[in-house]
Amino acid sequence: MAVLRPFDKLPKLNSGVLLFVGSDEELQRRLAETILQEKKDFNINIHLATSLPLPSERDHLRPRIDLVVFMIDIKSKYSLKNVETSLAYVDASYFLGKVCFLVTGVGRKNDCSIETNAVCKLGEAYCSPVLFCELELEGVRVATAQRLVRMLGICAGHIPGVSALSFVSLMRKSNDD
Amino acid sequence: MAALTWDMAPARAPTPIPAPAPAPAPAPTPAPAPAPAPTPAPAPAPAPTPAPAPTRELELTPASAWSQGGGGSYGDVSVPTLLRLRDRMKEQLAEYETAILAGQENLFGHGIEENFIQSATQDLERDIEEAKVSFQNKMLALQRIQIMDALRNKFKQDDEDSRMILETMKHIVLLSRTIIDYQQQVHQKEEQLINLKRERLSLKKRGGEKLQQIPTMMKRQKEKQASVNVIETEKMLKKLEKERQIITIIKNVFQNVIIGSRVNWAEDTSLKAIVLQLEKNVHFQ
Repeated sequence: MAVLRPFDKLPKLNSGVLLFVGSDEELQRRLAETILQEKKDFNINIHLATSLPLPSERDHLRPRIDLVVFMIDIKSKYSLKNVETSLAYVDASYFLGKVCFLVTGVGRKNDCSIETNAVCKLGEAYCSPVLFCELELEGVRVATAQRLVRMLGICAGHIPGVSALSFVSLMRKSNDD
Repeated sequence: MAALTWDMAPARAPTPIPAPAPAPAPAPTPAPAPAPAPTPAPAPAPAPTPAPAPTRELELTPASAWSQGGGGSYGDVSVPTLLRLRDRMKEQLAEYETAILAGQENLFGHGIEENFIQSATQDLERDIEEAKVSFQNKMLALQRIQIMDALRNKFKQDDEDSRMILETMKHIVLLSRTIIDYQQQVHQKEEQLINLKRERLSLKKRGGEKLQQIPTMMKRQKEKQASVNVIETEKMLKKLEKERQIITIIKNVFQNVIIGSRVNWAEDTSLKAIVLQLEKNVHFQ
């Protein structure tokens, strides 16, 4: 089926599955490599895709996806459009904390084609955290990888007492209402 | 497209845990069926099919280094690992139960209005905030208790540090006492100030009232005097009237006496003058 659903399949024992959706494959690959080099105590599978819907031929091979990361490059408007069209193929129950927006390329200010305002509004509309990073820099890439590993651990249900729903409530600003 | 395999070890556990456990995942992993075989070849790396050109999916899986653990495909079965796995499975079970519950509730969603949902979410958010706040307060109280306990234990070992701590605490107590004294004085002075201000305010009010009363009283006095004048004039007029009437009566009596006595008053000049005068009417002058 075309729509990704979070609870359709059973989880594998002691593993977490991450899905990157974004138009820049090289960046995805590098970030994936950095993630795989992180210290962790569960197995991580990473799937890379340029857009949704995922090809349905491999549907039965694909495990349950725990965290979907949409990568937006701040230098290309096409990546934002791509992400927006892909958002339609994700089931609504994913947006309870299992989706994250990752904005890359923020190191260069003069090349921005997308406004951060638009991305932040997207994040608010979909109740998902927005992370900003610059994947060209080694330190930031490693830090982003650590954050994503932590989030993946929570979304996969590995941390008792903390579920992905807490991302939603932690994101509320204190000056709301 | 070449199959992507990455050789790496999860650095934490000394003997790693096999990834695809055949037991809890019955259906959806037929492809990694060769996985539980002792060969550590990473099974789930079939060639990624780029069939529809725009969406391509690649899969990166670390080859868990079973070879490092030496042989057995079941890897580490130590008690902590098993307990950790048990906790994780419990958490995942809780998540699935929540999802089922959420799915069930949607059956009655047709009749529910948006307002109801909004108010429900607001209530829940408020509950979350209250829970957070109470949790923070409790953590604060707990940490304070812990600090006091640590201090008490420290004092029991009577060494240099504890003496210094004791001195500091005594100094703190002294300063707090002086602060309290000064604050009491400030409080008293403020109260006096407030009383003074209150009195001044009441005085002002009374002065204002008096000023207002002055013109009214003057008016009243004028009126009184005017009325008194009026009364007096009326009295006088009445008296005058009475006197006139008396005089008229006396005159008439006198006239009649003279006429009745049949004296020829026209001959005597003084009688004539008197009778003529009696004719004049008493009138107002």
